[in-house]
Amino acid sequence: MSTLDLQEQEQVDALRGWWKENGKWVVAAVVIALLGYAGMQFWKSHQAQQAGEASKLYVEVEKQIMTNDPKRVNDAVAALVDKFGGSAYAPRAQLLAVQANVQAKDMTRAKTQLQWVIEHAHETGLQDTARLKLASILLDEKNYDEALKQLNATHPEAFTGLYADMKGDVLSAQGKTEEARAAYKQALDKIEAKSMYRNLVQLKLDGLGDAK
Amino acid sequence: MFDFVHEKKRLVQFVLALIILPFAFWGVDSYQKSGGGESLASVNGEKISAQEFDNAMRQQQQRMRELAGPAFDQSIFEKAEVKHSILEGLVAQHLLFSEAHKTGLTVTDEQLAGVIGGIGAFQKEGKFDKQQYETMLSGQNMSPLMFESKVRQDLSSRQLTDAYTQNGYASNAAVDNLIRLNEQQRVVALLKFDTDALLKQIKVTAAAVDEYYKKNQSEFQTPERAKVEFVIFSTESLQSQVVVDEAEVKKYFDEHQAEFGTQEQRQASHILISVAAQASSADKQAAKAKAERVLQKVKQSPGNFAALAKEFSQDPGSATNGGDLGMFGRGMMVKSFDDAVFKLKAGEISDLVQSDFGFHIIRLTSVKAAKTQPFSEVKALIVQRLKAQKAGDKFAELAEKFSNTVYEQSDSLKPAAELLKVSVQQGIWLSKGQAAAGVWTDKVQQAVFSDDVLKNKRNTVAVEVAPNTLLSARVVEYQVASVRPLPEVSSTIQNKLQRQQALELMAKQGGELLSRLQQGEKVNVAWLPVQSIMRSQHAGVDTELAKFIFKANTAKLPAYVGVQTAQNGFVVARIDAVKDAATIDEGKRNRYQQQIRQVTGEELLQAYLADAKKHADISMKAFATDDKK
Repeated sequence: MSTLDLQEQEQVDALRGWWKENGKWVVAAVVIALLGYAGMQFWKSHQAQQAGEASKLYVEVEKQIMTNDPKRVNDAVAALVDKFGGSAYAPRAQLLAVQANVQAKDMTRAKTQLQWVIEHAHETGLQDTARLKLASILLDEKNYDEALKQLNATHPEAFTGLYADMKGDVLSAQGKTEEARAAYKQALDKIEAKSMYRNLVQLKLDGLGDAK
Repeated sequence: MFDFVHEKKRLVQFVLALIILPFAFWGVDSYQKSGGGESLASVNGEKISAQEFDNAMRQQQQRMRELAGPAFDQSIFEKAEVKHSILEGLVAQHLLFSEAHKTGLTVTDEQLAGVIGGIGAFQKEGKFDKQQYETMLSGQNMSPLMFESKVRQDLSSRQLTDAYTQNGYASNAAVDNLIRLNEQQRVVALLKFDTDALLKQIKVTAAAVDEYYKKNQSEFQTPERAKVEFVIFSTESLQSQVVVDEAEVKKYFDEHQAEFGTQEQRQASHILISVAAQASSADKQAAKAKAERVLQKVKQSPGNFAALAKEFSQDPGSATNGGDLGMFGRGMMVKSFDDAVFKLKAGEISDLVQSDFGFHIIRLTSVKAAKTQPFSEVKALIVQRLKAQKAGDKFAELAEKFSNTVYEQSDSLKPAAELLKVSVQQGIWLSKGQAAAGVWTDKVQQAVFSDDVLKNKRNTVAVEVAPNTLLSARVVEYQVASVRPLPEVSSTIQNKLQRQQALELMAKQGGELLSRLQQGEKVNVAWLPVQSIMRSQHAGVDTELAKFIFKANTAKLPAYVGVQTAQNGFVVARIDAVKDAATIDEGKRNRYQQQIRQVTGEELLQAYLADAKKHADISMKAFATDDKK
C-alpha cells in the first residue's frame, strides 16, 4: 500500500510543481475566456440594438418612398447611411432611393448610389443587383463600353442569365448582331425552364432572326 | 397585351406562393415545435419535420381549392413531384429565415406590434383586441409567442427578398425592343401541298404491312376487359320513393316561419353622449349628467330631435344626419340598444340607455312589419326539402343493409336491387387501367379486377363513389389481354404507312422547293392569299409555323421559311413585309416597363435563392412515386 502512497505523493508533487510554473497562465486563460464571453454577449446585444435602430430608420425610408418626393427619400437614406453604413439596411435603402431618383430622372445621383452599393454592400447579391441596374442606366445613356465593363465583372453563376441577357441588349444596341445572339443564347442556357424571364430573352433572340 | 407573361402566370403564382409564404400565418405552428418525429429535410442543420410538411401541404391544397374551384383535383397532391416542390418551398422558406438572421435583418417590437395590430381578424370595432387575438390564436393551436416569432421571421425574410423583387430594372432600349417585337406584324403568304395527290402516288405492299404489324405489336394490344352489371344506390334514387303529405309540409312551414319571409325592421335615430366602457366612474357620472340635460331638451321639444342630434350627438356617423341610423333588424345593434329600440312605439323617445359606447337617447322613427311568404308560394320548395331530408334518412338506414346484402348474397345483385326497388343496370365494358370517369372511380375498378370478383364471380363490395352514393358491380363477361389479329388492323396499318410516306415525300419535295425559293429562283406555285399575322395572333397559321415566321431572318425580303406541321405536313411561308408598331407612346412604354421590371425582379430573387442554396447545407428526402403518406 505504501508504495502506492509514494506514487501518489510523487504525482501530487509533480502537479504542485507544474502549477507553480504554469498556474498564472491558467488563471489568465480563464479570465480571458470569461472576459471574452462577456464581451461577446455585450457585442451581441450591442449589435442587436444597432440593427434595431437601423431597422427603424429603414422603415422611415420606406415611408418616405410613399411621398414620391426624391428629396425626402434621399434625406432619409442619407441619415441611415451616415449612422449605420455597415448595416444590411444601408444598401437596401440606397437601392430604394435609386428607383425614386431614376423616376425623377436624376441619373447622376442614382449612379452614385448604385456605385456605393457595389463598393459597400456585404451581400454579393445586392452588389449584382446594383451592377445590373447601373448597366441598364449606362445602356440608355449609350455609354456602351462602361455598361459592358460592369457586365464583365465577376459574379456568381446563378446571376449569369441576367448578366448575359443585358450583354445581349448592349451588343444589339451597338449593332453587333452575332455577338448579341451568342449572349442571348448563353442567357437561355442559364435561365430555368419555368422562369417567365426566359420568354423575354427568347423573344429578343428570335427578333434577331435566328431561323435555320 | 403581354401574352408571354400571362401564359405562365398560374404556374408562377403557384411556385411563388410556395416560396414566399405571403402572410399565411394560419396553421403554420409546427416550425417552432419541430422537435421529435421524422424529419424530411434539413437546412443548415435545422430540421423540417413531417408535421410541418403536412401543414404546408394542407395550406397549399386549400389555396388551390380556392383558385381552381370545382375543378380542383385532390389527387395531384399524391404526386411525388408536387410533394417535392412543396418541400422545396419549405426549404427555401427556412433558408430565407436563416439568411435574414445571418445578414442582421431585425424586426423591432414596434414594427411587429404595428403589423399584428393591423390584422383585421384580431380587431373588434376597428381596434386591436387582446382577447380576440388570444382566442383566435388558441383556435389555431398557437401561443402569442409562437405566432409573434413566426411573424417576425416572415417580416425579416420579406425585408431580405424585397431588395431583389422591388429592384427589377428595364432599360428603355430593352423595353422599346420588346414592344417592337411583341407588336410586330409580318405579312405572309402560305404554300400548302396537296396531300391527296401525294397519297395516290404511294403504294404500300402487304409485306410492309406485315412487317409493321410484327414490329409494333404493343400498338395493337387490347387490355384485359370486363363487362359488368351494377346497382347504384344514392339519395337521388330514393327521392322518388319517399312520400311527403300535406300535413307535414304545413307543419314545417309553421315551424320555420323565419326562413320564409323578412324579419321586422325598425328605423331609429339617436343622440350619443359617448363615454368609454372602461372610463372612470367620475367620467361616467359627468357624461350621464350631460346626457340627462340633453334628454331634458329633447323632451321639451321632441320635434327638434334631429337638430339636437346635430348639436349634441357624439356619434360622428349619424350626428350629421340628425341621428338617423336607418333600417335594421333585431339583434344588429348592441344588446341594451337593441332591447330599447324594440320596446318603443313609433314616434316614441326613450329614456337614457347605457351601452359600451356611452349614453343614448333614442327615437323610434318607423316600424316595417315582418313579412311572410304565403304558403302556396313556398309549398313546392318545402316538399323538395322534406323529400331530400327523408331520402337522406332512408339512405342512412339502408346503406348498411345494402352493403350487407351485396356481401352476403354475393352471387347476384338481384336481392340488393330488390331491397332498393331499383333495377340492375347492364352492360358496361371496363378496360383494366383506364382513367377514372364518373362513377367508375379507381377504387371501383380495383374492386372489379380483383381475383374475388373476376375469378370467383362475386359481387364487389359496396364502394362509395360519390358522397351518399354507393355502387356494387359484378362481372358478366371477361376478356383477357390480347393482340388484335392482323386482318382486323391491316387497313389501319396500310393507311398509316401510306400517310407517313406521303408526308416524307412532301417534306422532301417541300424542302427542295424551299431551297430553290431561298436562292431567289422564280417558281410558279399556287400561293394562298396574303395575310398579316402577329406573334400572339395568327389565325389560320399553325403555331409551330408562326414561331418560325417570327424567327426568320428578314434582312432580305421576301424571305422563305418551311416547317413540318402536325396538321398539314410540310408548309412553306413567304414573308413579304415586316411592319413595326407605329410610335410608342409614354403610357404604353410605362405599362411594359412595369411588367418587365416585375419579371426581372422575380428573376433577381430566383438568382439570389439559387446562389444561397448553393452555399447552404441542404438535404432533402426523396418521395417515392406511390408514397401514400
